[in-house]
Amino acid sequence: MNDGLELELVKLIIDFCNVEDVVPEEVPHDVPLIGPDSPFYLDSLDAVEIVVAIQKGYGARIGSEDSSRMVLGSLTALADFVRRERTDQ
Amino acid sequence: MKLDFPHRQFAHCESGVTANLLNFHGLPCSEALAFGLGSGLFFAYVPFVKLNFLPLTTFRGAPGSIFKKATKRLGIEVKTQKFGNPAAAEQELDRLLEAGRPVGAQTGVFWLPYFPPAYRFHFNGHNLVVIGKEGDDYLISDPIFEETVRCSVADLRKARFAKGALAPKGKIYYIEKLPEQFDFPTATKAAITDVCRVMLKTPVPLAGVRGIRLLARQLVKWPAKMGEEKTIAHLGHIIRMQEEIGTGGGGFRFIYAAFLQEAAELLDNDKLADLSNRCTEVGDLWREFALIASRVCKGRAAVQDSFDDLAGFLQQCAAQEEALFTDLQQAIKY
Repeated sequence: MNDGLELELVKLIIDFCNVEDVVPEEVPHDVPLIGPDSPFYLDSLDAVEIVVAIQKGYGARIGSEDSSRMVLGSLTALADFVRRERTDQ
Repeated sequence: MKLDFPHRQFAHCESGVTANLLNFHGLPCSEALAFGLGSGLFFAYVPFVKLNFLPLTTFRGAPGSIFKKATKRLGIEVKTQKFGNPAAAEQELDRLLEAGRPVGAQTGVFWLPYFPPAYRFHFNGHNLVVIGKEGDDYLISDPIFEETVRCSVADLRKARFAKGALAPKGKIYYIEKLPEQFDFPTATKAAITDVCRVMLKTPVPLAGVRGIRLLARQLVKWPAKMGEEKTIAHLGHIIRMQEEIGTGGGGFRFIYAAFLQEAAELLDNDKLADLSNRCTEVGDLWREFALIASRVCKGRAAVQDSFDDLAGFLQQCAAQEEALFTDLQQAIKY
């Protein structure tokens, strides 16, 4: 889907996690957002920052059976989750 | 050979294993229902017991208790075995698989090669279901993963006999017999009563609401007592236990909220639906705590000011949980 959400999410992550030296448009959509393969070099503590930012920005709570491990598995997974669960529109 | 096992991915391993095993035996069960019927929700802060050199902080009951309590309350007969000898442990596992039984097993995550290296840490309370064997590989339904996985006989042996805290000692468990009827309302009430009791009335000040208050009182002193590096290690440990270790977030409070939602329907009790919403709010509060804590760990917040705030958040969590479980106790008395 080309609604620009993936790029919006990349910018949100960069902003909230103080990420430097990453060009938003060049972030791949299919790699984990957390862990050693993350293009942002983020760890599990940063994951909390993202989870809360998603909840506050889009009204989509990552919890219960949608664990952050699954939702932050890739940019595509996160964008799909936000499209499905957002309550801000 | 591979059993026709309905694998589903979940947030939490033991609740997921319990739900998947019940489903295999013809009893549809969500992760939240398994967690709730097993009285999974808890809190304890035990500073003199260390896990990876850090104080034991847990948001759930003891490993194995969810499967044990959920099945007992539903009148399901189960069998649990531990072994001193790895060869005997493998023989019994193979015998059960040949007999068509999926077998739950407690393992050490560090020795499971299908876990990405970043997630392989020394935790011996990880649960999975062995659903078959092909050549030198066991076939495994690990609820943390989207698909079933393979694990060599040698690696599973290491994982089943991992040493250290919570050593599994080859532990396996499986369902032997289901009753003809299930009394979900009685099981649900008993499970809720159990959680309210441990959260409100545990005699030791380390557990339940009193444990949360103890952590608040101790945490505020950490920077002066331990120095910044050790303080950050302690704080990071709490965040991981709360948000990362298969909790579904908010220290299992979101999963418990989903259980209360199901319980509202099972017991036809609207009060439980309201209490489910309050449980979600408590989960959000825990997550706010984790957010400030992660900023401290990452150097994005001033240390001492933030510890006053963090202690304040914990006191709020304790107050809200005390009110929640007091009202929950009342809501199921009718």
